[in-house]
Amino acid sequence: MKIHINYKEFIDKLKEMFDKGDWISCSNSHFFKLQSINDFDKVELTTIRPTEPIKIFLFQYRSNIIENIKKNKTLFLLGVKNCDLQAIKVLDKMFISEYIDENYKNLRESIIIFSSDCPKPNQTCFCAILNSKPYIDNESYSTDINISFIDEKNLILESFSEKGEEILKNYFSNFAQPTKTDFEKRDSIRDFALKKILEFNNEFLKEEKKEKYYKTLKNTYELDNVWQKESEKCVQCGGCNFICPSCYCFLIREYSKSYNEKNRDRVWDVCHFTGYSRVAGGANPRKYKYQRFRNRYQCKFVYRYENFNFYACTGCGRCIEVCPAKIDIRKVIRNLLLAKGEEILV
Amino acid sequence: MSTYKPKNFKILKIIEETPNIKTFTLKPLDETKFNFHTGQFIELTVYGIGEAPFTPSSSPYETETIDLTIMRVGRMTEVLHSMKEGDIVGVRGPYGKGYPVEEFKNKEVLIIGGGVGLAPLRSLILTLIERISEFKKIILCYGARTPQDVVYKYIFPKWKKIKGLEILRSVDRCQVDEWDETIGVVTCLLDKINVDVKNTVAIVCGPPIMMKFTTLKLVEKKFKPQQIYLSMERNMSCGLGKCGHCQIGSYFICKDGPVFSWEQLKDIPEPFE
Ligand SMILES: Cc1cc2nc3c(=O)[nH]c(=O)nc-3n(C[C@H](O)[C@H](O)[C@H](O)COP(=O)(O)OP(=O)(O)OC[C@H]3O[C@@H](n4cnc5c(N)ncnc54)[C@H](O)[C@@H]3O)c2cc1C
Ligand code: SF4
Ligand code: SF4
Ligand code: FES
Repeated sequence: MKIHINYKEFIDKLKEMFDKGDWISCSNSHFFKLQSINDFDKVELTTIRPTEPIKIFLFQYRSNIIENIKKNKTLFLLGVKNCDLQAIKVLDKMFISEYIDENYKNLRESIIIFSSDCPKPNQTCFCAILNSKPYIDNESYSTDINISFIDEKNLILESFSEKGEEILKNYFSNFAQPTKTDFEKRDSIRDFALKKILEFNNEFLKEEKKEKYYKTLKNTYELDNVWQKESEKCVQCGGCNFICPSCYCFLIREYSKSYNEKNRDRVWDVCHFTGYSRVAGGANPRKYKYQRFRNRYQCKFVYRYENFNFYACTGCGRCIEVCPAKIDIRKVIRNLLLAKGEEILV
Repeated sequence: MSTYKPKNFKILKIIEETPNIKTFTLKPLDETKFNFHTGQFIELTVYGIGEAPFTPSSSPYETETIDLTIMRVGRMTEVLHSMKEGDIVGVRGPYGKGYPVEEFKNKEVLIIGGGVGLAPLRSLILTLIERISEFKKIILCYGARTPQDVVYKYIFPKWKKIKGLEILRSVDRCQVDEWDETIGVVTCLLDKINVDVKNTVAIVCGPPIMMKFTTLKLVEKKFKPQQIYLSMERNMSCGLGKCGHCQIGSYFICKDGPVFSWEQLKDIPEPFE
């Protein structure tokens, strides 16, 4: 179902839904919880993804894994961008395929997503040269309703799931269908954003090279010296892992008081840390910094690509912004491609 | 129940194998049966201390209890070694894929173990013994550092009597008159055996360095990569293919292993360390 609505009417309708669950809105730094109906007036839908990674809603930094999280009330996420949908795709693959992680599953099932197009990408955004575009279409992963601005005051709402369809039917059925002109406006805003991203990344990578990342990163063991050079400034702080929406690694900490008072936590872990891969007796298959640094890239661009057939990096650029050593994932990949003799800037 | 919540098991019996290896016999507190496939592993919890992966060393045909043979190497195993019969520990699992026993049928099965690496292999050998007529022959090559470090000393006399099971043992070093079998690293036993390489599978478990040199030696002896099976060890946390720790190339050792054929691993850089 697709409808045309003006922004004010849209927000008023959301206000009617306030008590249907908890509401989280995106800004360009944080996800904010809406405290009252009036907070809907502060909602921002056109910023880029928050700096905070979306995984906090599915798999918190520290969580108890002995007690099952009960099905809680619905969590509405408002303004989720396509790169973060892509991150959820990776997390779903890890947590609810094969063995099911019940806590993840319960949280996942309680979420309803109102995604929105991303008309103003940042210099650090590179979604469009990987898996996704700066807007939501049929190729996007699992949203319920998408919001596209078509001018300052008007939107197109589009449902992508049964839940989304139901919401549109229940709350928005009085509104008109979008016209051909509405879609044309939407397309031109989308095209503009897409072009911006390709332009920002021109010096790094080109979209048509994307399957080359896998091939190049897979066999870079003869390029140890390049990895060493690229990782030289890395201080192994783990910031890139923590901030990354698709980094899912965790560690189980055992705190039980006794066998009948069990207690254990799951905390985010970091493949850059030496203890991550160290085994008993002190042996470590990734002893050197460059091996751990390389692992993070290969995990996303080689191993998960082999498992899932898509890259486990979303191109959100969070790790670029956070790195104290100013390491830019795009430059690292570019330099590897160059060292492999690939033509990049054609 | 949470996937990560261990079940309580009671320590029924503790055998001191060597100065730093003990075998613990565990039984579920709720008296349920514990089924596993030989070569699969479990996650063992010492409550309040930590959790670590171990492969049962007992026969999967024994479902009342499980044996774990554990070397004291660090934080959690240190505390475990100080525990007594009657104490309670936690177990979750079994996890992973075990030995593909069906594929060994009508073949010569060459089993090579080093140190505490004999633990999973004992489970495998006990499984093979149950159906010994299905295999051409079974050869066990076992190496330990010194005669004191040999595990399951009490089992070998029994095993040596079994028709179809051939046993060769070595120690790296020993005192005069202390050992009347081979002296040298375990790979030198491979020069003493007589197998029809084309119809043999080799199964290896031991410390990383031993696995590496044994694999190289087997390859030199013209074993094909798909005829060599290795029990891999990596840092593990979840045991379920989620936490990332045990990743080796695009495999997770906990979920896709811990038993791998050399064919699966040979192109992955630094598989041993
Ligand atoms: C599939 C598999 C099967 C195995 N089977 C056997 C077997 O049958 N017998 C056997 O003896 N060994 C076996 N091992 C090895 C065994 O798991 C290790 O010896 C064991 O993990 C050692 O634990 P430890 O705490 O005593 O050692 P440590 O060296 O103290 O710790 C080992 C690892 O645990 C983590 N760790 C340590 N301390 C902490 C802490 N405070 N908080 C969080 N993490 C911590 C670290 O990441 C470290 O790399 C097996 C390993 C695998 C992967
Ligand atoms: S690796 Fe960087 S750009 Fe890729 S998903 Fe993670 S934080 Fe975003
Ligand atoms: S954020 Fe930068 S310095 Fe920190 S671990 Fe990542 S690459 Fe290294
Ligand atoms: S131990 Fe967690 S992924 Fe294998």
